Amino acid sequence: MTATISTTSVTPTRRRRRSARLSPLLVAFVLVPFAVESVWVFWPAIQGFWFSLTRWDGMTPPTFVGTDNYVELAGDATFRGALVNTVIWLVLFGGLSVLGGFGMALVLQKERRFVGFYRAALFTPVVFSLVVTALVWRVFYQPDGIADTLLRAVGLESLIRPWLADPQTALYAVILPALWRQIGYVMVLFLAGLKAIDPALHEAARMDGANAWQRLRHVTIPQLKGVNAVVLSVIVIDSLRSFDIVWSLTKGGPYHSSELLSTYMYSTAFQSLRLGYASAIAVVIFVLALAVILGYLVRAFREEAS
Amino acid sequence: MSDFDPGRRRFLGHLGLAGLGALGASSFLSACASSASGPTTSNGSGAVTIQSNLSSPQAKAAMEKLIETFNAQGKGTASLNTIASETFRTQLPTYLTSANPPDLYTWYAGSVANDYASKNLLLDVSEVWKSLDDYPQSLRTLSTDASGKQIFVPMNNYWWGFFYRKSNFAKWGVQEPKTWTEFLALCETLKSKGVPPIGIGLGDTPWVASAWFDYLNIRINGAPFHRELLAGKQRFDDPKVKAVFTRWREALPYFDPKGKAYPFQEATTALLAGKTGMFLIGTFFADAAPKDALGDLDFFRFPIIDPSVPLAEEAPTDGFFASAKTANPTGTKALLSYLAGVEAQEAYVKASSGIVLPANPRAKASDSPLVVKGKAMLDEAKELTQFFNRDSSDALQPTADTALTKFIDKPDQIDAILREWQAGAEKVFKG
Repeated sequence: MTATISTTSVTPTRRRRRSARLSPLLVAFVLVPFAVESVWVFWPAIQGFWFSLTRWDGMTPPTFVGTDNYVELAGDATFRGALVNTVIWLVLFGGLSVLGGFGMALVLQKERRFVGFYRAALFTPVVFSLVVTALVWRVFYQPDGIADTLLRAVGLESLIRPWLADPQTALYAVILPALWRQIGYVMVLFLAGLKAIDPALHEAARMDGANAWQRLRHVTIPQLKGVNAVVLSVIVIDSLRSFDIVWSLTKGGPYHSSELLSTYMYSTAFQSLRLGYASAIAVVIFVLALAVILGYLVRAFREEAS
Repeated sequence: MSDFDPGRRRFLGHLGLAGLGALGASSFLSACASSASGPTTSNGSGAVTIQSNLSSPQAKAAMEKLIETFNAQGKGTASLNTIASETFRTQLPTYLTSANPPDLYTWYAGSVANDYASKNLLLDVSEVWKSLDDYPQSLRTLSTDASGKQIFVPMNNYWWGFFYRKSNFAKWGVQEPKTWTEFLALCETLKSKGVPPIGIGLGDTPWVASAWFDYLNIRINGAPFHRELLAGKQRFDDPKVKAVFTRWREALPYFDPKGKAYPFQEATTALLAGKTGMFLIGTFFADAAPKDALGDLDFFRFPIIDPSVPLAEEAPTDGFFASAKTANPTGTKALLSYLAGVEAQEAYVKASSGIVLPANPRAKASDSPLVVKGKAMLDEAKELTQFFNRDSSDALQPTADTALTKFIDKPDQIDAILREWQAGAEKVFKG
């Protein structure tokens, strides 16, 4: 990359001549998607920002209220709760799916009997739509359902509670199905990464007397750098856009205890019909996502540069 | 789907509105009925478009039959668009504000309709009401907006009550209570027999708890106060509202603890299986009940708490309103007059699976003992209320869901809960 930059800056004339010869087809390939995006993505996004400065019920014309919505957000306990839950979600859902997926990939990387079956079994949840997943897990959590039966079987009756209806457990009860699904996906990414490592590296490390842990720490993990970047972006994006599983299991309830920013935005907009306020929440989510992704990109570039 | 409170509506759809009956199935009916999520056009002389959320098979068929009959009469032509209830709910504002809206809509009376009327979105149907002289005053008031003109034509209503299985009450040796004291005594008896006395279904359908709030409030503070409260003219942190929760707390120990975790459909199953004693719910719940259990069902009115408060009952009313921008007001009104008539309403009741009462006083209701008893209860009432979201707004319903489910979980925190509720409600009223 650095090389390209230096050449172009040294020979500006050559670059100009080259751009003059840009084929119209190429221009079309850039401009047409850009035009489509402008209408369907950029314009609504800008509009959303404008709506966040208004009060609007979706029917009468919006009235401009300045930063009122943001001031209200600052003092909104439900919003703070949703923000905290979103962070918990990022850490738990993100962290555990990386650990779980990596662990599964390590266990299942060696070709042996039935390994294909196990891999397929772990990947199956990814195939189901999240709403179906929610249905299955609801049966699992329902009163006298499978979860309760299991606890009773091992003598832990005292732990039984209405899992999705108890504010103490609702959020975690929702994270579990989300993880169940995500781990298989992450596992596949890591499996691909593991397959790409040259076996000779491991062989050499073994000859040098490295034990299994040392080989994992100093050979496998550094070699997975490329995959890590993919996994990390997938996890961050999936965490911030998590909505469907929460909505279909608890709708953010009971009384906002499993509310994420995304569910709060949705219910504010389409249940309470406060579209201006909901737009302000959407802007906050956008800024958060941008901060996380920019933060990551800056770090990645810096690493590459050094 | 059956997400927020639309769950109830979908069920209403099944039975409640089911009888829209016979708007005519002209040749395009089959084509329109299945899809059509966008507004359909109609010109001055063309067919009146009716947008219906009655999407359950029985209701849809009844509706098609009604349109067919209307078209055969030659007073006009109509075409029906049946739309999934949840889509209908979210699209309704869009339909009404679009430049070329559908003409007629199935929906609810009360503040929902008034709200649209105040934005000049609804057609003045006072002309239709001229021929509805024998409709009760309560329904006329319900269909009249703030400026004094009628904007709604009711089709039918249903009622809420404590439903139970006759055979189970006989087995337990208990009788219908009349007063709050008798009610609590009944709960105590059932509890001593190992049955959770009061069924409820708040998982997924938390709005069911609003029935408790509505009824306790109209029994303790009366219907006028209830309406003012829901219109934002009283405060939720008022001591009068707190009194409601003091009473409710007396009954809390008798609620089925599992009710928090499952929706009202499962609470229905629990009631029918004898796993709970009784269940405060609207007649639409019977939709989820097996037919052979229907004969064993009975209900009693919400017990009297203060005999000096005029008797009020919840009787949500379903019906029609029309777009102010309709290109064919004459045809629309003709169709409305037909739908409000005896013939259409009886056809509707016959076709609907559930337990509903036709709005037209001359139309015959089904003569099942349950319906006779329900009708008698409503006739006796001095005041009728609709339901929390119909007397207030869909936007206020989530604040009630939060406050009431939290109260059921943490009754000690009632002061804080009511403060939060008031704050939440103010935001909704502010917009």
